[in-house]
Amino acid sequence: MSKSRPTYQPLKPDPTGRRHLLVIEGPPAAPGDREGFDETWVAAPGSPVSAAVAMRAFPTVQALHEALEARLSGETMGFRLYAEGSEAFVWDVFRRAQDAGMGRAEVFLRHVGAPVRRVYCVHCGTLNEGVAVNLVECQGCRASLGVRDHFSRRLSAFLGVQADAETPGVLPAAEAFAG
Amino acid sequence: MIHGDPIIARIRESRPLSPTLKRLVLEPADGAPLPPAAPGAHVTLRLKSAGRAWNNAYSLVSEPGRRDRYEIIVRRVHASRGGSAHIHDTLAPGDLIDLSAPINLFPPAASARRHLLIGGGVGVTPLMSFPPLLRALRAPFELHQVCSAAERGVFEALLSPHGPDVHIHVGRGAIDLPGILERQPLGTHVFVCGPEALMEAVTGAAAAAGWPASSVHQESFAAASGAPFTAVLARSGRRIAVAGNQSLLEALEAAGVDAPSLCRGGACGECMIGVLDGAPDHRDHYLSGPERAGGALIMTCVSRARTPALVLDL
Repeated sequence: MSKSRPTYQPLKPDPTGRRHLLVIEGPPAAPGDREGFDETWVAAPGSPVSAAVAMRAFPTVQALHEALEARLSGETMGFRLYAEGSEAFVWDVFRRAQDAGMGRAEVFLRHVGAPVRRVYCVHCGTLNEGVAVNLVECQGCRASLGVRDHFSRRLSAFLGVQADAETPGVLPAAEAFAG
Repeated sequence: MIHGDPIIARIRESRPLSPTLKRLVLEPADGAPLPPAAPGAHVTLRLKSAGRAWNNAYSLVSEPGRRDRYEIIVRRVHASRGGSAHIHDTLAPGDLIDLSAPINLFPPAASARRHLLIGGGVGVTPLMSFPPLLRALRAPFELHQVCSAAERGVFEALLSPHGPDVHIHVGRGAIDLPGILERQPLGTHVFVCGPEALMEAVTGAAAAAGWPASSVHQESFAAASGAPFTAVLARSGRRIAVAGNQSLLEALEAAGVDAPSLCRGGACGECMIGVLDGAPDHRDHYLSGPERAGGALIMTCVSRARTPALVLDL
């Protein structure tokens, strides 16, 4: 496994922080799993917007990201942010936290769910979402991309490079990602 | 030992700022450009007088990067190890002194969105070189200086040129540390330098407000005086007396022992030596809690002994 490949731990509130916000992509887990977080925000497709303080639901991931950006712009030191969901989602949250000035000691991520990857095509820049195998046709330029184990935290994506560049049409066997 | 060859400097100016503070302007004796110094850097002066020698570290308060002069501010400390009294009473314009090349263990944080600078007394000196850089970068900062009523005017004159974000507080009771730390936006780093009690108050208030330790920076140039004790060098069996007004490091250096050192303020860890017997009196900011409790390591530049003798792995 490459060194750039992040590893994840279960999320629990950092005792050195003062305020704890957990953002989740997908349906919320059982309430018992969320003890110690002051607020939980969930992007649950199709759910109505809720204004409750402790548990807020957003109809789309984009709506959650927009609310998060607004929140971070007014936050102060002592705040801790936690994100759980697909790898692409949690690193999108991380990037927004970094843009707001937060450091690595203040943001905690956990990837849950299927081992699918967001794949960045190094040829055309297209981000291919939900890729489950290590060989994929780029949605942008139609190149056959071999998915590297190299993860870019800036792009929240794995890098995809044309797999048959040496001999067109000769491709390795596709394998599903293990995790 | 001090890293690298010494620089020979001539004292160009020695100007009193107050009854106990002097500003020294040092220029290269040979006229060649001095090594450039970044904000937060210090130099170590090698002082000698009547059989005694001191290696005292002072922050540069000259404009960062300036290569024709270094400026320092020295507080005359009574009942201390004597180096500052030598500077105040004996050194005069025209005198030559040896100093180390600048070392920077207290640089501004490149990733910080905002710098919160808190100084106590003459401890503000390492922070004085930050504002010119931060202003040039258009990086937001605020500087709080805690001082005595008698020195308010001195520090106002020194710090007010740095703009409207400079606040002078007379006495520690006059500064609302919890309030200041709680209202800082995400991405702020705090830098504190001053007396031990002020640094503890700032680090304590930062921790209580939920700041991560990686956003809290401190530097001390604490005097290392205390009760005398004996250092025993395990490898040679030599016994070296450490006087009350002398640090363990200075005693080792005076005895000709090539002991490592860098910051001379208990911050960098360079001078760490193993302790084989005896109980260290830890005064550094480097060792972790468990390492302190273990008693097997000592920072010779600031720490002393709680037992009559310390056996060192030297």
